[in-house]
Amino acid sequence: MITLFHLTKKNLKLLFRSRGSALVVIFAPLLIVLLLGLSYNTSGAYGINIGVFSPSSTDANDFGEFTKILEQEEFSITKYEKSIDECLEDMKRGQTHTCLTLPANLKVEDNVPKEIIFHVDPSRINLVWMIQETLQSKFNIKSAEISKELTSDLLSTIDKTRTGIDAQKVSAASASAQSGEVSGINSDIKTKLTALDSNPIANKYDSTLINATLTLLATAQERNNAAMEAKGTDENSTDILSRMLKDTRDALVKIDTKLRSNTSTNVTIGEGVSIESLVNGIQADINLANAKLAAAASVIRQASANIDTGSAKLQTTTEDLGKIQESLDEMSKNLAGIKVTEAGTVAAPITMKVEKVAVQGTYLSYLFPALLILVIMFSSLPLGTTLVMIEKNNPAFFRNFFLPVRKVTFIASIYLTNLVLILIQIAVILGISMIFLRDSYAQLPYVALILFIAASLFTFIGMAVGYVFTSEETGVLASISLGSVFLLISGVIFPLEGVSAVLRKFVVFNPFVIAEKLVRQTFLFKAGINEIYMDLLILLTYAVVMFLGILIMETLLHKHLSHKFLKTHHKRHKTKDAIKNKQP
Amino acid sequence: MEVINVKGVSKGYKNHSILSDVNLLIEEGDFFGVIGTSGSGKTTLLNILAGFIEPTSGKVMYWSKVSNKEESLHKNLHKIKKFIGFTPQHTSFYHKLTVSENLLHFAQLYNLPVNHVKTNITNILKFTNLFDHKDTIADNLSGGQQKILDIACSLAHRPKIIILDEPTANLDHVLQRSVLRLLKEVNAQGITVVMASHDLNCIEEYCSKVAVIHNGKVHSQGNLEEIRKPYLTKDFTIQVHAGEHKAKLIEKIKTLPINKIVDHGSILEIHPRDVQSTMSQLMQIIKDDGLRMHHLNVRKQPLHDIFDHILSD
Repeated sequence: MITLFHLTKKNLKLLFRSRGSALVVIFAPLLIVLLLGLSYNTSGAYGINIGVFSPSSTDANDFGEFTKILEQEEFSITKYEKSIDECLEDMKRGQTHTCLTLPANLKVEDNVPKEIIFHVDPSRINLVWMIQETLQSKFNIKSAEISKELTSDLLSTIDKTRTGIDAQKVSAASASAQSGEVSGINSDIKTKLTALDSNPIANKYDSTLINATLTLLATAQERNNAAMEAKGTDENSTDILSRMLKDTRDALVKIDTKLRSNTSTNVTIGEGVSIESLVNGIQADINLANAKLAAAASVIRQASANIDTGSAKLQTTTEDLGKIQESLDEMSKNLAGIKVTEAGTVAAPITMKVEKVAVQGTYLSYLFPALLILVIMFSSLPLGTTLVMIEKNNPAFFRNFFLPVRKVTFIASIYLTNLVLILIQIAVILGISMIFLRDSYAQLPYVALILFIAASLFTFIGMAVGYVFTSEETGVLASISLGSVFLLISGVIFPLEGVSAVLRKFVVFNPFVIAEKLVRQTFLFKAGINEIYMDLLILLTYAVVMFLGILIMETLLHKHLSHKFLKTHHKRHKTKDAIKNKQP
Repeated sequence: MEVINVKGVSKGYKNHSILSDVNLLIEEGDFFGVIGTSGSGKTTLLNILAGFIEPTSGKVMYWSKVSNKEESLHKNLHKIKKFIGFTPQHTSFYHKLTVSENLLHFAQLYNLPVNHVKTNITNILKFTNLFDHKDTIADNLSGGQQKILDIACSLAHRPKIIILDEPTANLDHVLQRSVLRLLKEVNAQGITVVMASHDLNCIEEYCSKVAVIHNGKVHSQGNLEEIRKPYLTKDFTIQVHAGEHKAKLIEKIKTLPINKIVDHGSILEIHPRDVQSTMSQLMQIIKDDGLRMHHLNVRKQPLHDIFDHILSD
């Protein structure tokens, strides 16, 4: 056990005394954690540039409201007024992360929801999701606000209607009561009318007697008249007159007979019935009818009074109903004033439509730029370090200082060695990629150029690491750690726009980010050299600076080695001698 | 003709002085040995001569046959390096390359014509007896062969001067001899050899000139005789094989004018103040006391004794 302790103690001592190893093994992970901690220690402050295209007709207030929503998340807003294409171009160049096409205003006035078109670059998958999530949540809030307003309008109208209904309830109740009363009056009238004897008098009077009598009278008159006429014109007029008178008398006798005959009034007066009885019958019937009429008149008077009361009540009811009608009209008007009636529109008055700006492809095509740079970076960095380490730790390295070869030549040779290997890798990668990205053949020369510069830069960085560290293992570990840092703050794993604002300023200069952006623009957006030359220049400048840095490092290394030589070699011997001299 | 002229070279590290006002003259064709204790500044001096370390003050001048004048090494480093071969203390070649690949690699870096390089390498391989191993991976060579390959790498471009730091260190006696013989042959071909070594016997045997570095300074320099000259009076010892009379003889010798007497068992080593007077008195004692003496030897002091004297000064 104690042996194990001693061995462990020794190992730790050795580790800490080798500064490079200690730095990488112990402090590099801490450094990465620290870096990432600093990078992502942010709560929603995004470095995202959002291009907003709002047609000229856009309501200034609404635009202000939109930008306010976006600025809440510290998005920087660029307004595009001519066309969305300007924004899309900027997005392809990476200057804008997403473009929004806003509706003319936020007033939802019909049943069609307002649409916000959200243009995203699908090659930046994580960013797309992040922006989509963030904006969607923000716009959902706005949508909910509008939805709330619409619902509030609806509810307010309903409330008004309800208040109106409540207010008209009294009128309706009154109308109802009045109607009830009128109904009662009507019932009463009906009862009374029903109670009236409306039965017709059943007696039938035969008019034959009357007619016969009348005929007789007419006959008598005719005879009389004939007798009068005959008295002057004819000698025999006396006879004729006498006959005529006799006929008249007969007729009158008959009439008298008829008139005097006693008959019941309630029986059918017919033959043999006297007119007197007939008249009596009629008189009785008339009396009965009069009684009935009197009763009816009484009922009618009462009914008339009731009808007057009912009329008054109906008048009141009509007034009440008029009020109700007015109120209903108002309610109807209010309800008609609600323009959004579709449940879907009320629930989601703003909808977001996502449109992808890049050519539709598979996730491979979106990830391909990052993959390419990833391969290049993780090949070049450790390879550069390894090659420097192989040379530096080689016994022959010391001889290099005595050769008539300039430092720059040695550095260039390591770079070229690395480049040969990387170029083979690039060729293989591009060869394979051609199978998947057939429509990007024309872009391959640009991509090859970018990869060449990126590979050079990462090689130089790897070489610089190689010159700084003393052991190959720690050097390689350091270069892989460095690559991991580049990767972690590149936006491939976590969206770059999510890092803290301070670091974001520096992180955009991450060579991995620049190289990946260049390949993405070239591969996916078919950008030409005139569109990417600025970033290419930055990469190239990095490479040149790194090269010069390595030259300085080489010089420093030379000085370091000579100092180390003087320090260790000479001092060691001196110490030995001093010890020897002290010995008796 | 002097090929290297070191003028007042000093080199320090922080407040620590390593070399102080070193002046050296190395002539064409010299087999120049640099001796000194460990840490005396030998290696630093050689590294300055090879151009690896720049002196704090002073300068190193190389004679240019082209311009026929002295040229400062550090001002014309790139040019002068072509004429210098340097073999550091530890092997300095690519262990994973073959012997001929190593030679070819280093020779090619001097921008020599290809045919010239190939001829050179063949000659060197034969000359150093490495021809049979030309296709052997350097790592698989023996220690001595690796040292020879190291020297061969320094010779691959046919330098005018070869500077070697402890070429015989860590080698057994036989290998030491073969390396030194090789260097002697190199020197015989007109190449100036500057070599630092601990092995004073080797220096004494092979070097034509020597510089003694002590405490960062050149204590003495020149050919061996010139080095010995100041120590001639002290440079003799009398060795006596006294046999059975040893104890009695010691008593008698102690009465003589001597510095010390060292008992080496059967042999007594007498360090006289004056060799002639001591010898005559010693002979008189032996004669008077009837002592028998098996062997008497008066010996000139070797270089390491002189070196010891220098150290004790």
